[in-house]
Amino acid sequence: MLKRKMIKNFTWPLKTATQEIEVTRLYPEVMMELPAAERGIHELNATICIGCGSCARVCPNSCIEMVHFKFGNPLKNKKMQFPQIDYGRCMFCGLCVDECPVECLKMGQRVTMAGWERKDIIKGPDFLATKRFSSKEVADLEAEAKRIAAEKKRIADAKKAAEKEGAAKEGAAKKPAKEGAAANGAAKKKAAAAEAKPKEGGAA
Amino acid sequence: MTNASEVLSSIQSAFPGAVLDSRVESDRRLWATIDSNKILDVCKHLSSKLNFDHYSGSAGVDWIARKEMEVVAIMASHGAHQVVAMLKVKTPRENPSVKSLTGLYWNANWYEREIWEMLGINFEGHPELYPLLLSDGLMGAWPWRKDFKGYPDLTTGERAVAITTTEGYTEYHFPPTPAEIEAGTVVTQRPKYPSFREREEREIKSDSEMIMHLGPQHAMVPGPFLLDILVEGERVKKAFLDIGYIHKGIEKIMENRTWLQGITYTDRMCYVASLSNNECYCGAVEKILGLEVPLRAQYIRVILEELSRIQSHLIGTGEFLTLIAGVGFAPWQYMIMDREKIISLIESVTGARLTHTFVRFGGVRNDLPEGFAEQCRKDLPYMKSRIEEFIELFAQDPIYHARMENIGSISAETAKRMGCAGRVLRAAGVAYDMRREDPILVYPELDFDIVTGTRGDSADRIDVTLREILQSIRIIEQCLDKIPSGPIKTDVKIPKKIPAGEAYYRVEDPRGEMGMYVISDGGDKPYRVKVRGPFYATFQTLTPLLEGVYIADAVAIAGSMDGCPSESDR
Repeated sequence: MLKRKMIKNFTWPLKTATQEIEVTRLYPEVMMELPAAERGIHELNATICIGCGSCARVCPNSCIEMVHFKFGNPLKNKKMQFPQIDYGRCMFCGLCVDECPVECLKMGQRVTMAGWERKDIIKGPDFLATKRFSSKEVADLEAEAKRIAAEKKRIADAKKAAEKEGAAKEGAAKKPAKEGAAANGAAKKKAAAAEAKPKEGGAA
Repeated sequence: MTNASEVLSSIQSAFPGAVLDSRVESDRRLWATIDSNKILDVCKHLSSKLNFDHYSGSAGVDWIARKEMEVVAIMASHGAHQVVAMLKVKTPRENPSVKSLTGLYWNANWYEREIWEMLGINFEGHPELYPLLLSDGLMGAWPWRKDFKGYPDLTTGERAVAITTTEGYTEYHFPPTPAEIEAGTVVTQRPKYPSFREREEREIKSDSEMIMHLGPQHAMVPGPFLLDILVEGERVKKAFLDIGYIHKGIEKIMENRTWLQGITYTDRMCYVASLSNNECYCGAVEKILGLEVPLRAQYIRVILEELSRIQSHLIGTGEFLTLIAGVGFAPWQYMIMDREKIISLIESVTGARLTHTFVRFGGVRNDLPEGFAEQCRKDLPYMKSRIEEFIELFAQDPIYHARMENIGSISAETAKRMGCAGRVLRAAGVAYDMRREDPILVYPELDFDIVTGTRGDSADRIDVTLREILQSIRIIEQCLDKIPSGPIKTDVKIPKKIPAGEAYYRVEDPRGEMGMYVISDGGDKPYRVKVRGPFYATFQTLTPLLEGVYIADAVAIAGSMDGCPSESDR
């Protein structure tokens, strides 16, 4: 009798382990409906983040660190720095959201973040980003950024050259040359911004 | 009605030369620097002639640049007039010492002890200068002084050295490292005083008496504190209170955070009252800035603070009722279920359930969401019917009456003298409510009653609490009708550096009068934030109230105060 019971003790777990039996159940069975204002896990819009680091500076627990992330906008975020949040420290006060100048950081209704180790709850931009560019779009944008940088360099060189010339000529010829170069640069910049805009919209 | 300038002229005429410096901020606020030799006489004059019968607390400030320290006594009146006098006394930074007010005001005891242990200001004539919040190991470090360098990090277990005592126990010590000794973070000179154990053991007079420990983890007040009672048989002869088990040093932390970041710390003082704590801090900063809060934001603040009061009262009462036999566990469960509705309402606006960080300088964080008023109008009548049911339930329960009536009674006179706050004071029959005494926001435009009791016992305290919920519901309903549309934040840009100044702002916390004394020196961080917590004031009266009662009644008395050691320890 006793032996049979002991065998049963072993067979039952074996049986249950092989079959798919629900062990942990969610209680309450349906998750509570969270309001729109809920301050849960952050949602990062990587396409508009400018990597200014305001969120990291205002955080009372200094849980935000700026890290590198590929799928952002290299035109606006030159060093490609995006927030990484340590949820072990975060107290969900929402000051980072209030402080963000471009409103790319929001707090959403996601609230579960359990992990097996401490480093599991340090969530990088890869986890936080709800909106991001694909690799192809990033490549395009990078090419665009390079082009703009090259353009700028060219203008700067031209300006330098003009200045040198002006210095050589002395006096009256200097001023018009400078103004002309500046106006030229501004026009180029405007054109570049206009080109970048439609791409953003497409990604969003 | 007395106003601040009349009070000032009265002091000046009675004691010529005693007032070194003064400022009349408004009709209700008087700031005066008093000659340290005459402070006792001035206070006597105030309490006897001008009805200043409420010593509301005191704050110590370390002015390191001016090489002096300041003790600011906050004096008010229980309803005779509405002036709050902030009396400053200066003392040199070397060997600071001022006269104690404990002879005049019984409740000055704890406030002065706190200043002594934190800043090292000696109080001449104080009967018991023992540490209150700090542990014995930190005495002499004077942590609130501006030149405090921080104390050694004792949180790592690696530096613990195990020593076996003669009795065979293992004790762990944390010796400081040479670097820490050199940096001056280790206390070398400790003041001498009898320890808590020695003090309570001194009181044992005969073999039939013994000391019983309730705490530090005791259920009757949520939060750790140690209550030792000296008992003879079933009677309590004397009680000893040791607090500071959850001392977080919030006031010091806030000195090291920016003005905006400070709001998040006020949440953590008492999480069931975080909205009033937010309000208190932001209100004080707004006063320094001279900001006008938009009307809609004021209404939102009032609605949420009253909702917060309801949920705080529900959890406080429910939790306490589980502790006394008779009514048992059922009310707790009903109350916590009802509280869920209120919490959801607050959450739908603020986005957080307990630590809201919602109030901002000159406004609020979010606007009310769509459908909030409808949901409120649906939930509040239900809440009203439930509260009426609870009142009826407790009124007719004989076991509840036997446990609660005439237990821990406190008369109006005693309550005033001891400086109780909130429900303890109002249950004794003193209608003292900050919403009337020091009206803020739109409270003057709202119609509500201040609920008072008659007997001042434990049953009355619970009754007052429940009837206060009905008043809160009344306030919210009026606000929902009156709330205008408009901006929720002021247009003025809040500077990162707040201009130099000081302000004292009082709100009605769910537990009573709460005040914050905020000083700015023109920097991006507060120079000093002093929190005058309501439960700190009430907690002090627990030990005298427990004298002579039965052991079982200790729970009924302490629990009915709706305590929160987290807020009193800060």
